Amino acid sequence: MTRSEADTTTGGPPAASGAGQPVPTIRAMRIASAQWPLAGALLLLLAVAGGALAPLLNGTGWWWLMAIVAAVVLLGGAGLRRVGVPGFLGPLFGFGLLVATLTLLFGAGTGWVLVIPTGETLDRFRDLVLAGTLSIEMQSTPAEATAGILFLLGVGAGMMAILIDTLAVVLRVPALAGLPVLVPLLVPGLVLGGKANLPALVLTAVAYLVLLRVEIRMRQAGSTAFTPGRPWAPVAPGGAVVVGGIAVVAAIVVSVAMPVLPGGGLAGARPGGSLLFANGVSPMINLGQDLRRPDAVPVLHYRTTATRPPYLRMLTLDEFSGRNWTARLAPGNRENTVDDIALPPGLSPEIATGETITTIGIDGLATRWLPTPAPARSVTGLLGFWYWNGTSGSIASPSDTTRGQEYTVTSLTLAPTAEQLRQAEADYPSGIQDSLELPAQTPALIGDTAREVTAGAATAYDAAVALQEYLRGSEFDYDTEAPVEADYDGGGIDVVSTFLEVKSGYCVHFSSAMAVMARSVGIPARIAIGYLPGVLSASSSVAGIGRYSVDTHDLHAWTEIYFEGVGWVPFEPTPSRGRVPDYTRETSAAAPNDEAGQTAPSGAARPEDAGAQNAADGEQGAATPEEEAGGLLRLGLLLTGVLALLLVPAAVRVTRRRLRRRGILRGPDGAGVAWREVSDTAVDHGVEVRDTETPRELAGRLRRLVESRPGPAGGTEQESVNEALERLLVAAERSRYARSSGTGDTARSAALAADLDVVLRGIRSGSERRARVQATLLPVSLWQPGAQRIGRPAANA
Amino acid sequence: MSASPVRVVNAPALAGATDGPVVDSDDETLMDLSAVEAAARSIIRNMETVIDGKHSAVSCALTVLLAQGHLLIEDVPGVGKTMLAKALAKSVHCTVSRIQFTPDLLPSDVTGVSVFNQVDRRFEFKPGAIFANIVIGDEINRASPKTQSALLECMEERQVTVDGTTYLLPLPFTVVATQNPIEMEGTYALPEAQRDRFMARISMGYPDNESELRMLDARDTSSPLDGIEAVVTGAELRGMMTAVRNVFASAAVKEYAVSLVRATRDDRDLRLGASPRATLQLIRAAKSRAALHGRDYVLPDDIDALAVAVLGHRLVPSSRVLGHHQDSGAVVDDIVRRIVAATPVPVGAPGHT
Repeated sequence: MTRSEADTTTGGPPAASGAGQPVPTIRAMRIASAQWPLAGALLLLLAVAGGALAPLLNGTGWWWLMAIVAAVVLLGGAGLRRVGVPGFLGPLFGFGLLVATLTLLFGAGTGWVLVIPTGETLDRFRDLVLAGTLSIEMQSTPAEATAGILFLLGVGAGMMAILIDTLAVVLRVPALAGLPVLVPLLVPGLVLGGKANLPALVLTAVAYLVLLRVEIRMRQAGSTAFTPGRPWAPVAPGGAVVVGGIAVVAAIVVSVAMPVLPGGGLAGARPGGSLLFANGVSPMINLGQDLRRPDAVPVLHYRTTATRPPYLRMLTLDEFSGRNWTARLAPGNRENTVDDIALPPGLSPEIATGETITTIGIDGLATRWLPTPAPARSVTGLLGFWYWNGTSGSIASPSDTTRGQEYTVTSLTLAPTAEQLRQAEADYPSGIQDSLELPAQTPALIGDTAREVTAGAATAYDAAVALQEYLRGSEFDYDTEAPVEADYDGGGIDVVSTFLEVKSGYCVHFSSAMAVMARSVGIPARIAIGYLPGVLSASSSVAGIGRYSVDTHDLHAWTEIYFEGVGWVPFEPTPSRGRVPDYTRETSAAAPNDEAGQTAPSGAARPEDAGAQNAADGEQGAATPEEEAGGLLRLGLLLTGVLALLLVPAAVRVTRRRLRRRGILRGPDGAGVAWREVSDTAVDHGVEVRDTETPRELAGRLRRLVESRPGPAGGTEQESVNEALERLLVAAERSRYARSSGTGDTARSAALAADLDVVLRGIRSGSERRARVQATLLPVSLWQPGAQRIGRPAANA
Repeated sequence: MSASPVRVVNAPALAGATDGPVVDSDDETLMDLSAVEAAARSIIRNMETVIDGKHSAVSCALTVLLAQGHLLIEDVPGVGKTMLAKALAKSVHCTVSRIQFTPDLLPSDVTGVSVFNQVDRRFEFKPGAIFANIVIGDEINRASPKTQSALLECMEERQVTVDGTTYLLPLPFTVVATQNPIEMEGTYALPEAQRDRFMARISMGYPDNESELRMLDARDTSSPLDGIEAVVTGAELRGMMTAVRNVFASAAVKEYAVSLVRATRDDRDLRLGASPRATLQLIRAAKSRAALHGRDYVLPDDIDALAVAVLGHRLVPSSRVLGHHQDSGAVVDDIVRRIVAATPVPVGAPGHT
């Protein structure tokens, strides 16, 4: 198949001549031998692009795995073609090779002869896929490359190798092979939301150019098989440079633009429709991103019978590795259906509870974790399979997302009194003991601070309240940008330590600081992630039940403390956000009564409301313009990028003209180059240049063009243009069709260059304004070269 | 045998005449191309005093003469075909003969015949009208096929064989034949194979208004042919021809000619394409045209300009495209123009690019 296509692409004369008889085999051999460089270039491209995933994963082993799998598929495919396997079978064989490689690497010896997969292998693969998906969802970045993740990476690399191999070799459109490779390039940008990984981008672009170059060489080897001595055509590299340049700039622009795009509204939270808190993302980092988003996107709305709008909890993080908080993996129990949820653990009947009903409609949130008021007792109206987990208190689905769901939650409101909490015993059941774990190398600052703050606290409750008060105090600033700028984002132990020094951060830092400090003084603590109550939409009250809407800026993290006999009790350590629970307020003697009014239902916290809520806290006011400035900056970058992209053709054209001018002054074939430039300029200005036309015919039409619009200087200028055109024409004809004389003295070259300038000016002034603009910004000759056809070798020279 | 009505109007110089029927290449001198151009200009100017307003026909006729080809002038009666041929012949100083073809003209009238000399008591060869540098064959399609083929064989081989003896024809040797279009009464159309021997066919066309008026004034009393004289000597003419032969045709130009001719063979509107001889003559004619313009190299433009004249009469349109057209010439000319417009012009490979 490749052979026959190579025949058609040569565009040579109808190959009926007897002399052309042995040619196809020679050409086929050339193409076959060119398979190796092409496969190598594809491998290089894939390996370099795969390297762009580095920010997401720890170590380098995963990269080697991807490279090995891709190498087996690509080089194996090339080898098969080399021995004469038809090209269209390539993808099939590639897939076979991929399966064999995966069986060898991941089958753990279950494969037949180690490489042929058996049923056992397939089972193993399925487990690996499940484990990989799960660990991607649960792990934060940079993730450990577990076996499951490695397996998924191997599959991805192999499939991508098959795809680009098919595109570049079988379909012979190597330019498109750059598309699949964009996936690994863009994923880190999407997941981490940072700036473009410039080195990776540039390296990939270079690899892409190498690929194009190799392919062009191969093509030329095919098309010039008639004349082995012939050098390669000078056209193609220019085209490759143009394509490559545009690709590089486009990639930069896309990655710069990506965080600005508001997710298309479809997924609400995540661009590209990926799930919130999934795909190997730290929930903490995610949260910060949503808070920093310039434009809030609606997430959900709800109506509730509660007197105060509730926090909507999605998941709790109680496992602290030291680097990050993660949700403890608890396999979903299929019997825990959401129509009847058990009472939260540790709740004793003495605690006053009330029941509220909340109807939630999801607008733009896609996640596997269900936002509900906590603790929920039952959920109705959900589509798909959702299960609750007694330990974490979260409701999640293994297969469905919250997208578009409408459901009703019946939940408890806990109203323990401070007395009850104070009386809770510090005798924690074993399941809760885990929530006291801290990493071994905990900075001393954390424990010291915690002990200092809780010095006067007699009970766990008093200590927790003291910690909350300390963090909500005026020493700490709420700021979503500072941690990112100072590079201590996230919830790790070092971050907490830094945060306690800098005293500036957002809910992630406050909640993890409180949780870590509570644990350090022996109080079980965990972090809950969910949404703040949102704002009451005016004019939408139905039967006295208001409609609240929640957007991405309401995403929040808070701390939950465990009290024996009560269960997990939420605390709010973040200043200026959310609402301090009632049971913590009684003890704070300083708390004025009117603070209760501040936490009225409509007073749910928003960064925008910060001024009203806490006049002393001026940071909120500052954050918004800062965010705006960031947005403007990004917009400016985007515009600059787009502008640069638009100017690429013009720049390439100008460069080419300069190079040609230099070639005229220096080279032996100045006239030919000059005429090529004239012809290209004519094409740029909308003059149709046909390859069936002789130079003299083109000159005739150019002369008419020049005469059609007299320049400012009138007839004499036209005269000079015409004379220069004639001189150029004769010189070009001489260089093309006369005996080669080998005279190229500099005076003549300089005269040629001067004539060229005159003619180019003439063409320019003879064209309409529109044509002139187009010729400058969008020179057509870059992709439709005028007189750049390469003469086919003479049949009987 | 020789009693048949041979109308040799003007056959003054035969064997042994001043210029000699056979010219060796000894006295050939390579002319400077600018001199060739100047001489060609003066010939054309000379001819145009007779043929007014037919510049392209005149220069094409001269092109063919310098390329040592044969010219076929085809048009309706009375537009000046013979006048063109005679003007060309008179403008260069060389031997000219004219044969008026009729149905009863015999081959020996063209080639010559052996006559018994009573005095010497042996046969001696009496050369026919073909022994001249320029032979004007008037109304060639009126002769019988037998006579036509005798002439055409001479044209191709440039020699005459009578009674076992071969006589070489003079150099330069050019036949300028005129013919009436085929639909006229009492004619024998030239077969394709014989048309192929002519390098080019031109047609005169009617003169425009102005030229016709001027012609009335000029020809009122006397023939304008009387007023013109040769402007180029025989030696100069041969020098011009040598210069033409030395014009350079680059590989790209040759390739262009070949692809044009090949295109005529592949064209679906043509029943018969052009022969390899057509390619050869196309290049020769193009060299001649280049020399006429003072160039020592052929341009694709030369090929373009000559393609209709050189290829047109060799092609046979398919009956489908001919349809109800009576005039196949116009149809073929259109096809050739279309092919010329559709064939890519190769860019030479100068130097290292």
